[in-house]
Amino acid sequence: MTLIEKKLQIWEQQGLINGDQYDAILAFEQGEKKNSNWWLYSLLMLGSAIIGLGVISLIAANWAKIPDSLKLGANFLLLVSLAVVIFWQKQKPKKPWVDALITAFIIICLASIGLIAQIYHINGRWYHAILLWSVISLPIVLFARHLFVHFLWVSLFINAAVWSCIDLAGGNLRNIMRELPAVLLLAPLLSATLYLLARRVHLLYRTTASFFFWFQISALIALVAIDLIRSGGETQFFEWRWYLPSWIAASILIALIALRPAYRPLNKGLLIATILLLIIYYYPDILFTGQTRYTFSALDSTERASIWLADDIRAPALTILILFLYAIHAGNSGYHRTFNVITFLIGLRFVVLYFQAMGGLAATGVGLILSGLMIIGIAWFWYSSLDLLKIWSKELTP
Amino acid sequence: MKNPQLRLAAALLFPIVVLAANTWMYQQQRSSGETFKFPIEGFDPRDMLSGHYLFYKVDYAVPSTHGCPTSDISAVLCLRPERRVYPTDELPSSCEVYLQGECDASTVFTAGLDRFYIPQEYATALEVKIADKKGEIEVSIDKRGNAAILDLLIEGKTWKAITQD
Repeated sequence: MTLIEKKLQIWEQQGLINGDQYDAILAFEQGEKKNSNWWLYSLLMLGSAIIGLGVISLIAANWAKIPDSLKLGANFLLLVSLAVVIFWQKQKPKKPWVDALITAFIIICLASIGLIAQIYHINGRWYHAILLWSVISLPIVLFARHLFVHFLWVSLFINAAVWSCIDLAGGNLRNIMRELPAVLLLAPLLSATLYLLARRVHLLYRTTASFFFWFQISALIALVAIDLIRSGGETQFFEWRWYLPSWIAASILIALIALRPAYRPLNKGLLIATILLLIIYYYPDILFTGQTRYTFSALDSTERASIWLADDIRAPALTILILFLYAIHAGNSGYHRTFNVITFLIGLRFVVLYFQAMGGLAATGVGLILSGLMIIGIAWFWYSSLDLLKIWSKELTP
Repeated sequence: MKNPQLRLAAALLFPIVVLAANTWMYQQQRSSGETFKFPIEGFDPRDMLSGHYLFYKVDYAVPSTHGCPTSDISAVLCLRPERRVYPTDELPSSCEVYLQGECDASTVFTAGLDRFYIPQEYATALEVKIADKKGEIEVSIDKRGNAAILDLLIEGKTWKAITQD
Protein backbone atom coordinates (compact mmCIF):
# COMPACT_ATOMS: atom_id res chain seq x y z
CA MET A 1 0.00 0.00 0.00
CA THR A 2 1.41 3.42 -0.97
CA LEU A 3 1.77 6.35 1.42
CA ILE A 4 -1.08 8.25 -0.22
CA GLU A 5 -3.40 5.26 0.18
CA LYS A 6 -2.59 5.03 3.90
CA LYS A 7 -3.23 8.76 4.30
CA LEU A 8 -6.48 8.55 2.38
CA GLN A 9 -7.70 5.64 4.50
CA ILE A 10 -7.03 7.65 7.67
CA TRP A 11 -8.84 10.69 6.22
CA GLU A 12 -11.77 8.52 5.21
CA GLN A 13 -11.94 6.93 8.68
CA GLN A 14 -11.90 10.36 10.27
CA GLY A 15 -14.75 11.50 8.03
CA LEU A 16 -12.66 14.18 6.30
CA ILE A 17 -13.36 12.73 2.87
CA ASN A 18 -16.03 10.42 1.52
CA GLY A 19 -15.73 7.32 -0.67
CA ASP A 20 -16.13 9.20 -3.96
CA GLN A 21 -13.44 11.66 -2.96
CA TYR A 22 -11.15 8.80 -1.86
CA ASP A 23 -11.39 7.19 -5.31
CA ALA A 24 -11.01 10.48 -7.19
CA ILE A 25 -7.89 11.56 -5.26
CA LEU A 26 -6.28 8.12 -5.56
CA ALA A 27 -6.95 7.96 -9.30
CA PHE A 28 -5.48 11.46 -9.69
CA GLU A 29 -2.38 10.63 -7.67
CA GLN A 30 -1.81 7.44 -9.64
CA GLY A 31 -1.61 9.37 -12.86
CA GLU A 32 -5.11 8.93 -14.21
CA LYS A 33 -5.43 12.65 -14.90
CA LYS A 34 -8.09 13.68 -17.38
CA ASN A 35 -6.50 13.38 -20.76
CA SER A 36 -7.40 16.03 -23.29
CA ASN A 37 -7.02 13.41 -26.04
CA TRP A 38 -9.58 11.06 -24.53
CA TRP A 39 -11.61 11.00 -27.73
CA LEU A 40 -8.54 9.98 -29.73
CA TYR A 41 -7.80 7.13 -27.31
CA SER A 42 -11.44 6.05 -27.31
CA LEU A 43 -11.54 5.95 -31.12
CA LEU A 44 -8.29 3.98 -31.20
CA MET A 45 -9.73 1.47 -28.70
CA LEU A 46 -12.96 1.19 -30.65
CA GLY A 47 -11.10 0.71 -33.93
CA SER A 48 -8.85 -1.98 -32.42
CA ALA A 49 -11.79 -3.82 -30.89
CA ILE A 50 -13.65 -3.77 -34.22
CA ILE A 51 -10.57 -5.03 -36.10
CA GLY A 52 -10.23 -7.80 -33.52
CA LEU A 53 -13.87 -8.80 -33.95
CA GLY A 54 -13.32 -8.77 -37.73
CA VAL A 55 -10.45 -11.25 -37.27
CA ILE A 56 -12.69 -13.46 -35.11
CA SER A 57 -15.39 -13.40 -37.81
CA LEU A 58 -12.83 -14.25 -40.49
CA ILE A 59 -11.67 -17.22 -38.44
CA ALA A 60 -15.23 -18.31 -37.75
CA ALA A 61 -15.92 -18.32 -41.50
CA ASN A 62 -13.69 -21.45 -41.49
CA TRP A 63 -11.70 -21.27 -44.68
CA ALA A 64 -11.78 -24.90 -45.69
CA LYS A 65 -9.53 -24.58 -48.70
CA ILE A 66 -6.64 -23.09 -46.73
CA PRO A 67 -4.48 -25.77 -45.07
CA ASP A 68 -4.61 -25.86 -41.26
CA SER A 69 -0.87 -25.31 -40.99
CA LEU A 70 -1.13 -22.10 -43.04
CA LYS A 71 -4.04 -20.80 -40.94
CA LEU A 72 -2.16 -21.50 -37.70
CA GLY A 73 1.06 -20.08 -39.13
CA ALA A 74 -0.65 -16.82 -40.19
CA ASN A 75 -2.30 -16.55 -36.80
CA PHE A 76 0.94 -16.91 -34.86
CA LEU A 77 2.73 -14.57 -37.26
CA LEU A 78 0.07 -11.93 -36.57
CA LEU A 79 0.41 -12.41 -32.81
CA VAL A 80 4.21 -12.21 -32.88
CA SER A 81 4.12 -9.12 -35.16
CA LEU A 82 1.70 -7.34 -32.83
CA ALA A 83 3.83 -8.27 -29.81
CA VAL A 84 6.93 -6.81 -31.49
CA VAL A 85 5.07 -3.58 -32.39
CA ILE A 86 3.72 -3.22 -28.83
CA PHE A 87 7.21 -3.73 -27.40
CA TRP A 88 8.65 -1.17 -29.81
CA GLN A 89 5.88 1.42 -29.22
CA LYS A 90 6.17 1.06 -25.45
CA GLN A 91 9.79 2.33 -25.58
CA LYS A 92 8.69 5.63 -27.14
CA PRO A 93 8.10 8.70 -24.94
CA LYS A 94 4.64 9.34 -26.44
CA LYS A 95 2.65 6.15 -26.83
CA PRO A 96 -0.95 6.80 -27.85
CA TRP A 97 -1.08 3.55 -29.84
CA VAL A 98 0.02 1.15 -27.12
CA ASP A 99 -3.36 0.55 -25.47
CA ALA A 100 -5.06 0.19 -28.85
CA LEU A 101 -2.46 -2.38 -29.86
CA ILE A 102 -2.84 -4.23 -26.56
CA THR A 103 -6.62 -4.35 -27.17
CA ALA A 104 -6.03 -5.83 -30.63
CA PHE A 105 -3.45 -8.28 -29.22
CA ILE A 106 -5.74 -9.67 -26.52
CA ILE A 107 -8.70 -9.95 -28.90
CA ILE A 108 -6.51 -11.85 -31.37
CA CYS A 109 -5.41 -14.13 -28.49
CA LEU A 110 -9.10 -14.93 -28.01
CA ALA A 111 -9.52 -15.49 -31.75
CA SER A 112 -6.50 -17.83 -31.66
CA ILE A 113 -8.17 -19.98 -29.01
CA GLY A 114 -11.22 -20.15 -31.30
CA LEU A 115 -9.07 -21.05 -34.31
CA ILE A 116 -7.27 -23.85 -32.43
CA ALA A 117 -10.63 -25.18 -31.18
CA GLN A 118 -11.95 -25.07 -34.74
CA ILE A 119 -8.99 -26.80 -36.39
CA TYR A 120 -8.77 -29.57 -33.79
CA HIS A 121 -12.57 -29.77 -33.28
CA ILE A 122 -12.31 -29.20 -29.54
CA ASN A 123 -15.66 -29.68 -27.89
CA GLY A 124 -15.11 -27.34 -24.96
CA ARG A 125 -17.32 -24.87 -23.12
CA TRP A 126 -17.18 -21.19 -24.01
CA TYR A 127 -16.41 -20.18 -20.42
CA HIS A 128 -13.40 -22.51 -20.26
CA ALA A 129 -12.02 -20.92 -23.43
CA ILE A 130 -12.51 -17.42 -21.98
CA LEU A 131 -10.99 -18.46 -18.66
CA LEU A 132 -7.89 -19.65 -20.50
CA TRP A 133 -7.83 -16.35 -22.39
CA SER A 134 -8.16 -14.41 -19.11
CA VAL A 135 -5.16 -16.18 -17.61
CA ILE A 136 -2.88 -15.75 -20.61
CA SER A 137 -3.86 -12.15 -21.33
CA LEU A 138 -3.76 -10.78 -17.75
CA PRO A 139 -0.01 -9.97 -17.69
CA ILE A 140 -0.21 -7.74 -20.78
CA VAL A 141 -3.53 -6.19 -19.67
CA LEU A 142 -1.74 -4.94 -16.54
CA PHE A 143 0.55 -2.86 -18.79
CA ALA A 144 -2.42 -0.96 -20.27
CA ARG A 145 -3.37 2.42 -18.83
CA HIS A 146 -6.74 2.93 -20.49
CA LEU A 147 -9.82 1.83 -18.53
CA PHE A 148 -11.37 0.17 -21.59
CA VAL A 149 -8.72 -2.56 -21.74
CA HIS A 150 -9.22 -3.41 -18.05
CA PHE A 151 -12.98 -3.26 -18.42
CA LEU A 152 -12.91 -5.62 -21.40
CA TRP A 153 -10.72 -8.09 -19.50
CA VAL A 154 -12.75 -7.91 -16.26
CA SER A 155 -16.08 -8.26 -18.11
CA LEU A 156 -15.04 -11.45 -19.88
CA PHE A 157 -13.14 -12.85 -16.91
CA ILE A 158 -15.95 -12.41 -14.38
CA ASN A 159 -18.43 -14.17 -16.70
CA ALA A 160 -16.07 -17.04 -17.41
CA ALA A 161 -15.07 -17.42 -13.76
CA VAL A 162 -18.66 -17.48 -12.51
CA TRP A 163 -19.87 -20.06 -15.06
CA SER A 164 -16.75 -22.20 -14.61
CA CYS A 165 -17.15 -22.24 -10.81
CA ILE A 166 -20.79 -23.35 -11.04
CA ASP A 167 -19.86 -25.94 -13.67
CA LEU A 168 -17.14 -27.30 -11.39
CA ALA A 169 -19.36 -27.36 -8.30
CA GLY A 170 -22.39 -28.77 -10.08
CA GLY A 171 -20.44 -31.45 -11.92
CA ASN A 172 -20.81 -30.27 -15.52
CA LEU A 173 -23.55 -27.81 -16.43
CA ARG A 174 -26.36 -29.61 -18.22
CA ASN A 175 -29.24 -27.17 -18.11
CA ILE A 176 -28.21 -23.54 -17.96
CA MET A 177 -31.63 -22.32 -16.81
CA ARG A 178 -31.60 -24.75 -13.87
CA GLU A 179 -28.31 -23.48 -12.49
CA LEU A 180 -28.91 -19.82 -13.41
CA PRO A 181 -29.90 -18.69 -9.86
CA ALA A 182 -26.57 -19.98 -8.54
CA VAL A 183 -24.78 -18.05 -11.29
CA LEU A 184 -26.73 -14.89 -10.42
CA LEU A 185 -25.79 -15.17 -6.74
CA LEU A 186 -22.12 -15.90 -7.35
CA ALA A 187 -21.61 -13.01 -9.80
CA PRO A 188 -21.92 -10.12 -7.26
CA LEU A 189 -20.16 -12.03 -4.48
CA LEU A 190 -17.19 -12.87 -6.70
CA SER A 191 -17.07 -9.37 -8.21
CA ALA A 192 -17.08 -7.79 -4.74
CA THR A 193 -14.41 -10.21 -3.49
CA LEU A 194 -12.17 -9.47 -6.46
CA TYR A 195 -12.84 -5.74 -6.07
CA LEU A 196 -11.59 -5.79 -2.47
CA LEU A 197 -8.66 -8.05 -3.37
CA ALA A 198 -7.71 -5.73 -6.26
CA ARG A 199 -7.74 -2.78 -3.86
CA ARG A 200 -5.21 -4.57 -1.67
CA VAL A 201 -2.90 -5.56 -4.55
CA HIS A 202 -1.40 -2.48 -6.13
CA LEU A 203 -0.67 -4.26 -9.42
CA LEU A 204 -4.41 -4.89 -9.94
CA TYR A 205 -5.53 -1.41 -8.90
CA ARG A 206 -6.72 -0.39 -12.37
CA THR A 207 -9.21 -3.27 -12.44
CA THR A 208 -11.02 -2.08 -9.29
CA ALA A 209 -13.46 0.26 -11.06
CA SER A 210 -14.50 -2.50 -13.47
CA PHE A 211 -14.98 -5.08 -10.69
CA PHE A 212 -17.04 -2.54 -8.72
CA PHE A 213 -19.15 -1.76 -11.79
CA TRP A 214 -19.93 -5.47 -12.31
CA PHE A 215 -20.58 -5.90 -8.59
CA GLN A 216 -23.26 -3.21 -8.65
CA ILE A 217 -24.89 -4.40 -11.87
CA SER A 218 -24.84 -8.09 -10.95
CA ALA A 219 -26.01 -7.44 -7.37
CA LEU A 220 -29.03 -5.58 -8.68
CA ILE A 221 -29.81 -8.34 -11.18
CA ALA A 222 -29.37 -11.00 -8.45
CA LEU A 223 -31.75 -9.18 -6.14
CA VAL A 224 -34.43 -8.58 -8.79
CA ALA A 225 -34.20 -12.18 -10.03
CA ILE A 226 -34.54 -13.83 -6.63
CA ASP A 227 -37.34 -11.43 -5.69
CA LEU A 228 -39.25 -12.53 -8.81
CA ILE A 229 -38.54 -16.21 -8.14
CA ARG A 230 -39.55 -16.06 -4.47
CA SER A 231 -42.52 -13.76 -5.01
CA GLY A 232 -43.87 -16.26 -7.51
CA GLY A 233 -43.72 -18.96 -4.82
CA GLU A 234 -41.44 -21.04 -6.98
CA THR A 235 -39.89 -23.89 -5.03
CA GLN A 236 -37.24 -25.24 -5.61
CA PHE A 237 -35.05 -27.71 -7.25
CA PHE A 238 -31.95 -25.90 -6.05
CA GLU A 239 -29.04 -28.14 -5.13
CA TRP A 240 -26.67 -27.13 -2.35
CA ARG A 241 -23.61 -28.02 -4.49
CA TRP A 242 -24.42 -25.20 -6.93
CA TYR A 243 -24.22 -22.70 -4.06
CA LEU A 244 -20.88 -23.92 -2.71
CA PRO A 245 -18.84 -21.41 -4.78
CA SER A 246 -21.08 -18.58 -3.51
CA TRP A 247 -20.57 -19.62 0.11
CA ILE A 248 -16.81 -19.80 -0.39
CA ALA A 249 -16.77 -16.39 -2.13
CA ALA A 250 -18.97 -14.94 0.64
CA SER A 251 -16.63 -16.26 3.36
CA ILE A 252 -13.61 -14.65 1.69
CA LEU A 253 -15.60 -11.46 1.12
CA ILE A 254 -16.68 -11.26 4.76
CA ALA A 255 -13.08 -11.79 5.87
CA LEU A 256 -11.87 -9.02 3.52
CA ILE A 257 -14.57 -6.65 4.79
CA ALA A 258 -13.75 -7.45 8.42
CA LEU A 259 -10.04 -6.82 7.79
CA ARG A 260 -10.49 -3.61 5.79
CA PRO A 261 -9.37 -0.70 7.93
CA ALA A 262 -11.19 1.89 5.79
CA TYR A 263 -14.58 0.53 6.93
CA ARG A 264 -16.00 1.60 10.27
CA PRO A 265 -17.48 -1.13 12.53
CA LEU A 266 -20.99 -0.03 11.53
CA ASN A 267 -20.19 -0.40 7.82
CA LYS A 268 -18.65 -3.80 8.37
CA GLY A 269 -21.75 -4.96 10.23
CA LEU A 270 -24.07 -3.58 7.56
CA LEU A 271 -22.17 -5.15 4.68
CA ILE A 272 -21.82 -8.54 6.36
CA ALA A 273 -25.54 -8.54 7.22
CA THR A 274 -26.37 -7.66 3.59
CA ILE A 275 -24.24 -10.53 2.27
CA LEU A 276 -25.75 -13.06 4.70
CA LEU A 277 -29.29 -11.96 3.86
CA LEU A 278 -28.63 -12.21 0.12
CA ILE A 279 -27.26 -15.73 0.55
CA ILE A 280 -30.16 -16.88 2.66
CA TYR A 281 -32.55 -15.34 0.11
CA TYR A 282 -31.28 -17.90 -2.42
CA TYR A 283 -30.50 -21.02 -0.43
CA PRO A 284 -31.46 -22.81 1.81
CA ASP A 285 -35.23 -22.27 1.72
CA ILE A 286 -35.68 -21.70 5.46
CA LEU A 287 -37.33 -18.29 5.06
CA PHE A 288 -39.82 -19.32 2.41
CA THR A 289 -42.85 -21.59 2.37
CA GLY A 290 -43.67 -21.90 -1.34
CA GLN A 291 -47.12 -20.32 -0.71
CA THR A 292 -48.27 -17.00 -2.10
CA ARG A 293 -51.10 -14.63 -1.32
CA TYR A 294 -51.35 -12.12 -4.15
CA THR A 295 -49.75 -13.65 -7.25
CA PHE A 296 -51.88 -15.21 -9.98
CA SER A 297 -51.35 -18.80 -8.84
CA ALA A 298 -52.64 -17.90 -5.37
CA LEU A 299 -55.70 -16.09 -6.78
CA ASP A 300 -56.87 -19.38 -8.35
CA SER A 301 -56.53 -21.40 -5.18
CA THR A 302 -59.41 -21.78 -2.73
CA GLU A 303 -57.46 -20.66 0.31
CA ARG A 304 -54.82 -17.96 0.24
CA ALA A 305 -51.70 -18.12 2.39
CA SER A 306 -51.74 -15.99 5.51
CA ILE A 307 -49.92 -12.68 5.30
CA TRP A 308 -47.17 -14.01 7.61
CA LEU A 309 -46.56 -17.11 5.52
CA ALA A 310 -46.87 -15.66 2.01
CA ASP A 311 -43.64 -15.62 0.00
CA ASP A 312 -44.85 -12.63 -2.00
CA ILE A 313 -44.80 -10.60 1.24
CA ARG A 314 -41.61 -12.09 2.67
CA ALA A 315 -39.64 -11.63 -0.58
CA PRO A 316 -40.22 -7.85 -0.95
CA ALA A 317 -39.62 -7.39 2.78
CA LEU A 318 -36.24 -9.09 2.42
CA THR A 319 -35.41 -7.13 -0.75
CA ILE A 320 -36.23 -3.85 0.96
CA LEU A 321 -34.23 -4.82 4.05
CA ILE A 322 -31.16 -5.71 1.95
CA LEU A 323 -31.44 -2.45 -0.01
CA PHE A 324 -31.98 -0.49 3.19
CA LEU A 325 -28.87 -1.93 4.88
CA TYR A 326 -26.76 -1.21 1.80
CA ALA A 327 -28.22 2.31 1.51
CA ILE A 328 -27.19 3.09 5.10
CA HIS A 329 -23.68 1.81 4.33
CA ALA A 330 -23.52 3.95 1.17
CA GLY A 331 -24.85 7.05 2.93
CA ASN A 332 -22.54 6.48 5.88
CA SER A 333 -19.49 6.12 3.59
CA GLY A 334 -20.31 9.25 1.60
CA TYR A 335 -21.39 7.49 -1.63
CA HIS A 336 -24.24 9.91 -2.27
CA ARG A 337 -25.15 8.78 -5.80
CA THR A 338 -25.38 5.15 -4.69
CA PHE A 339 -27.46 6.20 -1.70
CA ASN A 340 -29.88 8.12 -3.94
CA VAL A 341 -30.24 5.26 -6.40
CA ILE A 342 -30.87 2.70 -3.67
CA THR A 343 -33.44 4.79 -1.82
CA PHE A 344 -35.19 5.26 -5.16
CA LEU A 345 -35.18 1.47 -5.65
CA ILE A 346 -36.64 0.98 -2.17
CA GLY A 347 -39.45 3.37 -3.09
CA LEU A 348 -40.00 1.55 -6.36
CA ARG A 349 -40.25 -1.83 -4.62
CA PHE A 350 -42.84 -0.38 -2.23
CA VAL A 351 -44.92 0.74 -5.20
CA VAL A 352 -44.67 -2.68 -6.86
CA LEU A 353 -45.64 -4.35 -3.59
CA TYR A 354 -48.65 -2.08 -3.38
CA PHE A 355 -49.72 -3.06 -6.90
CA GLN A 356 -49.32 -6.74 -6.04
CA ALA A 357 -51.42 -6.43 -2.90
CA MET A 358 -54.10 -4.25 -4.50
CA GLY A 359 -54.41 -6.35 -7.66
CA GLY A 360 -58.15 -6.88 -7.08
CA LEU A 361 -58.94 -3.16 -6.99
CA ALA A 362 -56.66 -2.17 -9.85
CA ALA A 363 -59.51 -2.59 -12.34
CA THR A 364 -61.69 -0.07 -10.60
CA GLY A 365 -61.52 3.69 -10.81
CA VAL A 366 -61.05 3.94 -7.08
CA GLY A 367 -58.09 1.63 -7.27
CA LEU A 368 -56.46 3.70 -10.01
CA ILE A 369 -56.95 6.97 -8.13
CA LEU A 370 -55.56 5.45 -4.96
CA SER A 371 -52.62 4.06 -6.90
CA GLY A 372 -51.83 7.46 -8.39
CA LEU A 373 -52.06 9.15 -5.01
CA MET A 374 -49.88 6.47 -3.49
CA ILE A 375 -47.16 6.95 -6.13
CA ILE A 376 -47.19 10.73 -5.63
CA GLY A 377 -47.18 10.27 -1.85
CA ILE A 378 -44.25 7.85 -1.91
CA ALA A 379 -42.32 10.10 -4.30
CA TRP A 380 -42.95 13.10 -2.08
CA PHE A 381 -41.99 11.18 1.06
CA TRP A 382 -38.84 9.88 -0.62
CA TYR A 383 -37.84 13.34 -1.83
CA SER A 384 -38.60 15.18 1.40
CA SER A 385 -36.96 12.64 3.72
CA LEU A 386 -33.84 12.06 1.62
CA ASP A 387 -31.72 14.63 3.45
CA LEU A 388 -33.03 13.56 6.86
CA LEU A 389 -32.18 9.95 6.05
CA LYS A 390 -28.67 10.92 4.93
CA ILE A 391 -28.06 12.88 8.13
CA TRP A 392 -29.49 10.06 10.23
CA SER A 393 -27.25 7.45 8.59
CA LYS A 394 -24.22 9.71 9.17
CA GLU A 395 -25.15 10.14 12.82
CA LEU A 396 -25.21 6.38 13.36
CA THR A 397 -21.44 6.43 13.61
CA PRO A 398 -20.26 7.51 17.06
CA MET B 1 11.81 -9.43 -12.50
CA LYS B 2 12.63 -5.79 -11.83
CA ASN B 3 13.47 -4.72 -15.38
CA PRO B 4 10.20 -3.34 -16.87
CA GLN B 5 11.31 -4.19 -20.43
CA LEU B 6 11.85 -7.82 -19.45
CA ARG B 7 8.46 -7.88 -17.74
CA LEU B 8 6.80 -6.47 -20.85
CA ALA B 9 8.55 -9.01 -23.07
CA ALA B 10 7.48 -11.84 -20.74
CA ALA B 11 3.88 -10.57 -20.66
CA LEU B 12 3.80 -10.52 -24.48
CA LEU B 13 5.46 -13.90 -24.91
CA PHE B 14 3.39 -15.70 -22.28
CA PRO B 15 0.12 -15.99 -24.31
CA ILE B 16 2.01 -16.84 -27.49
CA VAL B 17 3.95 -19.64 -25.77
CA VAL B 18 0.83 -21.05 -24.08
CA LEU B 19 -1.13 -21.04 -27.35
CA ALA B 20 1.75 -22.61 -29.26
CA ALA B 21 2.11 -25.32 -26.60
CA ASN B 22 -1.63 -25.93 -26.75
CA THR B 23 -1.48 -26.34 -30.54
CA TRP B 24 1.52 -28.68 -30.28
CA MET B 25 -0.28 -30.80 -27.66
CA TYR B 26 -3.38 -31.23 -29.87
CA GLN B 27 -1.20 -32.01 -32.87
CA GLN B 28 0.69 -34.67 -30.89
CA GLN B 29 -2.60 -36.15 -29.71
CA ARG B 30 -3.73 -36.39 -33.33
CA SER B 31 -0.58 -37.98 -34.64
CA SER B 32 0.30 -40.36 -31.82
CA GLY B 33 -2.98 -42.24 -31.41
CA GLU B 34 -4.62 -45.19 -33.09
CA THR B 35 -7.28 -44.35 -35.69
CA PHE B 36 -10.91 -45.46 -35.29
CA LYS B 37 -14.05 -44.72 -37.29
CA PHE B 38 -17.48 -44.30 -35.70
CA PRO B 39 -20.79 -43.84 -37.56
CA ILE B 40 -22.70 -40.65 -36.77
CA GLU B 41 -26.37 -39.78 -36.95
CA GLY B 42 -28.68 -36.81 -36.48
CA PHE B 43 -27.78 -33.35 -37.63
CA ASP B 44 -28.33 -30.00 -36.07
CA PRO B 45 -26.46 -27.08 -37.67
CA ARG B 46 -25.62 -24.29 -35.25
CA ASP B 47 -24.54 -20.87 -36.28
CA MET B 48 -21.36 -19.66 -34.64
CA LEU B 49 -20.88 -16.11 -35.85
CA SER B 50 -20.81 -16.72 -39.61
CA GLY B 51 -19.40 -20.24 -39.39
CA HIS B 52 -21.08 -23.51 -38.54
CA TYR B 53 -20.54 -26.63 -36.62
CA LEU B 54 -22.24 -29.94 -37.03
CA PHE B 55 -23.77 -31.40 -33.93
CA TYR B 56 -24.44 -35.12 -34.10
CA LYS B 57 -24.70 -38.35 -32.11
CA VAL B 58 -21.82 -40.80 -32.30
CA ASP B 59 -22.73 -44.48 -32.51
CA TYR B 60 -20.06 -46.29 -30.47
CA ALA B 61 -21.79 -49.64 -31.15
CA VAL B 62 -21.88 -50.63 -27.48
CA PRO B 63 -24.09 -53.68 -26.82
CA SER B 64 -27.03 -52.68 -24.64
CA THR B 65 -25.97 -55.15 -21.93
CA HIS B 66 -22.56 -53.44 -21.69
CA GLY B 67 -23.72 -49.82 -21.84
CA CYS B 68 -23.99 -47.00 -19.33
CA PRO B 69 -25.90 -47.18 -16.04
CA THR B 70 -28.76 -44.69 -15.54
CA SER B 71 -26.67 -42.14 -13.69
CA ASP B 72 -24.29 -39.26 -14.38
CA ILE B 73 -20.84 -40.79 -13.95
CA SER B 74 -17.38 -40.38 -15.34
CA ALA B 75 -16.85 -43.42 -17.55
CA VAL B 76 -14.54 -45.08 -20.08
CA LEU B 77 -15.47 -47.06 -23.14
CA CYS B 78 -13.19 -50.05 -23.70
CA LEU B 79 -12.82 -50.58 -27.46
CA ARG B 80 -10.64 -53.69 -27.50
CA PRO B 81 -10.83 -56.63 -26.80
CA GLU B 82 -14.45 -56.15 -25.71
CA ARG B 83 -16.57 -53.06 -26.40
CA ARG B 84 -17.96 -52.17 -22.99
CA VAL B 85 -18.52 -49.10 -20.76
CA TYR B 86 -16.92 -49.08 -17.29
CA PRO B 87 -16.91 -46.51 -14.50
CA THR B 88 -13.52 -44.75 -14.79
CA ASP B 89 -12.07 -46.36 -11.66
CA GLU B 90 -13.15 -49.87 -12.67
CA LEU B 91 -11.39 -50.15 -16.04
CA PRO B 92 -9.78 -53.62 -16.22
CA SER B 93 -6.08 -53.82 -17.06
CA SER B 94 -6.91 -56.22 -19.90
CA CYS B 95 -8.47 -53.36 -21.89
CA GLU B 96 -6.04 -52.47 -24.70
CA VAL B 97 -7.64 -49.31 -26.10
CA TYR B 98 -10.18 -47.14 -24.34
CA LEU B 99 -11.94 -43.81 -24.70
CA GLN B 100 -12.51 -41.42 -21.79
CA GLY B 101 -15.97 -39.89 -21.46
CA GLU B 102 -19.05 -39.85 -19.32
CA CYS B 103 -22.47 -41.44 -18.98
CA ASP B 104 -25.60 -39.39 -18.53
CA ALA B 105 -28.87 -40.27 -16.84
CA SER B 106 -30.36 -41.47 -20.16
CA THR B 107 -27.61 -44.17 -20.43
CA VAL B 108 -25.83 -42.38 -23.27
CA PHE B 109 -22.03 -42.45 -23.43
CA THR B 110 -20.40 -39.23 -24.68
CA ALA B 111 -16.73 -38.44 -25.22
CA GLY B 112 -16.87 -34.84 -26.45
CA LEU B 113 -16.61 -35.90 -30.10
CA ASP B 114 -20.05 -34.71 -31.12
CA ARG B 115 -19.08 -31.48 -32.83
CA PHE B 116 -17.38 -30.79 -36.15
CA TYR B 117 -16.64 -27.32 -37.51
CA ILE B 118 -17.72 -26.77 -41.08
CA PRO B 119 -17.84 -23.76 -43.44
CA GLN B 120 -21.39 -22.57 -43.77
CA GLU B 121 -21.60 -22.90 -47.57
CA TYR B 122 -21.25 -26.70 -47.30
CA ALA B 123 -23.63 -27.15 -44.39
CA THR B 124 -26.80 -27.85 -46.41
CA ALA B 125 -25.13 -30.39 -48.71
CA LEU B 126 -23.61 -32.27 -45.78
CA GLU B 127 -26.83 -32.12 -43.81
CA VAL B 128 -28.60 -34.36 -46.33
CA LYS B 129 -25.74 -36.89 -46.45
CA ILE B 130 -25.51 -37.19 -42.69
CA ALA B 131 -29.27 -37.44 -42.27
CA ASP B 132 -29.06 -40.48 -44.60
CA LYS B 133 -26.68 -42.06 -42.08
CA LYS B 134 -23.80 -41.95 -44.52
CA GLY B 135 -21.51 -40.08 -42.15
CA GLU B 136 -18.61 -41.24 -39.98
CA ILE B 137 -16.02 -39.48 -37.89
CA GLU B 138 -12.40 -40.51 -37.95
CA VAL B 139 -10.84 -40.28 -34.52
CA SER B 140 -7.35 -40.69 -33.12
CA ILE B 141 -7.23 -42.21 -29.61
CA ASP B 142 -4.02 -42.19 -27.58
CA LYS B 143 -2.91 -44.64 -24.88
CA ARG B 144 -4.52 -42.57 -22.10
CA GLY B 145 -7.92 -42.59 -23.73
CA ASN B 146 -7.81 -39.02 -25.09
CA ALA B 147 -9.50 -38.65 -28.44
CA ALA B 148 -9.05 -36.11 -31.24
CA ILE B 149 -11.26 -35.82 -34.31
CA LEU B 150 -9.29 -36.22 -37.52
CA ASP B 151 -11.94 -35.93 -40.20
CA LEU B 152 -15.58 -36.22 -41.18
CA LEU B 153 -16.21 -38.96 -43.74
CA ILE B 154 -19.19 -39.30 -46.06
CA GLU B 155 -19.51 -42.74 -47.63
CA GLY B 156 -15.90 -43.39 -46.70
CA LYS B 157 -14.55 -40.23 -48.38
CA THR B 158 -13.37 -37.07 -46.64
CA TRP B 159 -16.01 -34.33 -46.57
CA LYS B 160 -13.76 -31.97 -48.55
CA ALA B 161 -13.66 -34.44 -51.45
CA ILE B 162 -17.45 -34.78 -51.34
CA THR B 163 -18.04 -31.03 -51.47
CA GLN B 164 -15.66 -30.64 -54.42
CA ASP B 165 -17.63 -33.21 -56.50
